[in-house]
Amino acid sequence: MDFDFTEDQQALRDAVRRFVDKDYGFERRTRIERAGGFDRSAWDGLAGLGLTALAVPEAHGGLGFGAVEAMVVMEELGRGLVLEPVAQAALIAPAVLGHASDELQSAWLPRIAGGEALVVLAHQEAKSRYRLNRVTTRAVDGKLTGVKSLVPVGDLADAFIVPARVAGADDAADGIALYLVERSAAGVHTRAYSLHDGSRAAEVHFDGTPGQLIAGPDQGLGLLELAADIGIAAQAAEAVGVMEKYLALTVEYMNTRKQFGVAISTFQALRHRIADVKMQLELARSMSYFATLRLADTPAVRRRAVSQAKVQLGNAMRFVGQQCTQLHGGIGVTDEYAGSHYFKRLTVMEMQWGDTMHHLGEVSARMQDTAGVFA
Amino acid sequence: MDLNFTDAELAFRTEVREWVRANLPADIAHKVRHAQRLHKDDLQRWAKILGAKGWHGWAWPKQFGGPGWNAVQRHLFEEECALACAPRIVPFGPVMVAPVIMAFGTPEQQQRFLPGIMSGEVWWSQGYSEPGSGSDLASLKCRAERKGDKYIVNGQKTWTTLGQYGDWIFCLVRTSSEGKPQTGISFLLIDMKSPGVSVKPIIMLDGEHEVNEVWFDNVEVPAENLIGEENKGWTYAKHLLSHERTNIADVNRAKRELERLKRIAKAEGLMDDQRFRDQIALCEVDVVALEMMVLRVLSGERTGKQPLDVAGLLKIRGSELQQRYTELMMLAGGPLALPHVHEAMEAGWQGDQWLGGAWMGGADYAIPVTGSYLNVRKTTIYGGSNEVQRNIVAQTVLG
Repeated sequence: MDFDFTEDQQALRDAVRRFVDKDYGFERRTRIERAGGFDRSAWDGLAGLGLTALAVPEAHGGLGFGAVEAMVVMEELGRGLVLEPVAQAALIAPAVLGHASDELQSAWLPRIAGGEALVVLAHQEAKSRYRLNRVTTRAVDGKLTGVKSLVPVGDLADAFIVPARVAGADDAADGIALYLVERSAAGVHTRAYSLHDGSRAAEVHFDGTPGQLIAGPDQGLGLLELAADIGIAAQAAEAVGVMEKYLALTVEYMNTRKQFGVAISTFQALRHRIADVKMQLELARSMSYFATLRLADTPAVRRRAVSQAKVQLGNAMRFVGQQCTQLHGGIGVTDEYAGSHYFKRLTVMEMQWGDTMHHLGEVSARMQDTAGVFA
Repeated sequence: MDLNFTDAELAFRTEVREWVRANLPADIAHKVRHAQRLHKDDLQRWAKILGAKGWHGWAWPKQFGGPGWNAVQRHLFEEECALACAPRIVPFGPVMVAPVIMAFGTPEQQQRFLPGIMSGEVWWSQGYSEPGSGSDLASLKCRAERKGDKYIVNGQKTWTTLGQYGDWIFCLVRTSSEGKPQTGISFLLIDMKSPGVSVKPIIMLDGEHEVNEVWFDNVEVPAENLIGEENKGWTYAKHLLSHERTNIADVNRAKRELERLKRIAKAEGLMDDQRFRDQIALCEVDVVALEMMVLRVLSGERTGKQPLDVAGLLKIRGSELQQRYTELMMLAGGPLALPHVHEAMEAGWQGDQWLGGAWMGGADYAIPVTGSYLNVRKTTIYGGSNEVQRNIVAQTVLG
């Protein structure tokens, strides 16, 4: 049992933090957000830092790093509210494609590692809420038809990883296959929009679109669940970074802002609120570690741990976001102040990959007689 | 980073587990498992068994006769004891006064007092709180006046847990009223059989006798029972508090009690009630999060890289969680949790003979739950109230 970071991991953290501080300040982020939430030169910068190569095996030109390095990176990106979809393109896509044929791996992984190919998961459907097994997009003879929503940078991505049903009813666990679909393929139509946190997403239509099989119907859902769990663990780490920075902004504000002739940080009611925020942050960090360190476990253990983490993270994100906004007073609810953007990011994250109530249901369903980290 | 214990740690755990299972008397474990009333004999029998093995002072270094375990080993020992349903080791001797004697006592004091603490023969009580002092401990007034080679002690201590069994009591006493309140306090060891010491029970809201008032009326204490220097007692007391770190969260007991909560809920058909089940699930998440926080601290203690100033966080969270699962146990008991039958808390109580049938249809599990709920209101009040803890946490964040 060891929760220390290695020197290499610390160096990675420092490098990402320097990049965020220097090249992804709040002003630049604002420009990127106003321009649609994705910036190619910022993406190249992230790739130049090696982040797109993080999870790609060395054999395919990547760095072959593990989940802890991913966590370190995501925490730092969270601090800077980086809009570009690093978790999607650099963590989830390589993990899923690692289960594809050698040919697909060789075709895509080196380009993902180099930052030239942007591949994202397109799994959300309008009526499926947070159920991964509810897939109405159909694949017949390798041709996909259906609509996916909220696809990260869906109008700019080079390819999508798409769950599509080859058999069974809309919510059957079996019969879901995963395909790699290029955006340039026939019958793909996209319509982009912004989310409330300024990130970019799109509706993606497939109309008889050809796809290349990544995983067949006996493995599709299992692999999709793995993708979601990697996404949740990455997001937990990102959320820790977001909360840490929002708390720091709030502390700075409270020590500067004067009311009734004194800094508002002297008021006990507000001090206790900060203590509660710190509590939620540290509980969240603890569960972020837990999710990351359980990613390599068996699916049953992994899924339960990740849902437990998402419940804690969801509660923490909502509490920290709301309280830090409240503690800022009026300035906290303006667009010009950075704090409100931290709040919006936390709000959006709680509702991605399954909200708190959804995952509480998962934890509830998976409860056993014993409890605890090693239960 | 690695969540798993090393092979050596796992082997250590197995050794401890086997020893605890083989040596913990079954009647005591049964009482703990079912939250029945524990008596002095139960607590001291287990203390002496541990003492004979050299584990009653489980956190002690080897030089004072302890096992010399590191933070992870101590945690594993505590966990195995909790999960085996051992009674909580009464901390006043081995956890609270012993480290102070080790750090600040003379060799004579160490030789005189430590063996009796380790063996479990001598029962220690804590004399800190006073009626007027609450969380503002430094405002204490119990006076000790130096007269020749003696101190004459006058005043009152309160909330003295299990003081009715005490052989000795370690006290913070006022030896000076000069300067700041903290600077006039001394750390004194007092034989509770001395003339002038009287112990009066305080019956708490659960009807139990757990805490006491301890009165001192011209009690003569040999000056050789002073620890360290006069008026430096506050420093020693703070040292003592620094020894209360991870076990303050009591997460191992939380894991055991969550199992009990599930047993009660199952017996009441509540594991099929989604509203209730989800509340248990939330509690389970809280337990995992708290345990992860504890493990982070343990890891930091071992490597010396402490990432987190946590004592306050662990105290707040651990106590709130204890109150929450206890509340859920009471709610799970439902109407059956309402009767208050003092004698029913005893092991072997034959309540089923009252009306020729089983207690409330065999719902023995419901007997202690409301008493526990009432009892643990104390946890957010004692040891520095949770509001004081929040002040401390806020200080570290806001300056």
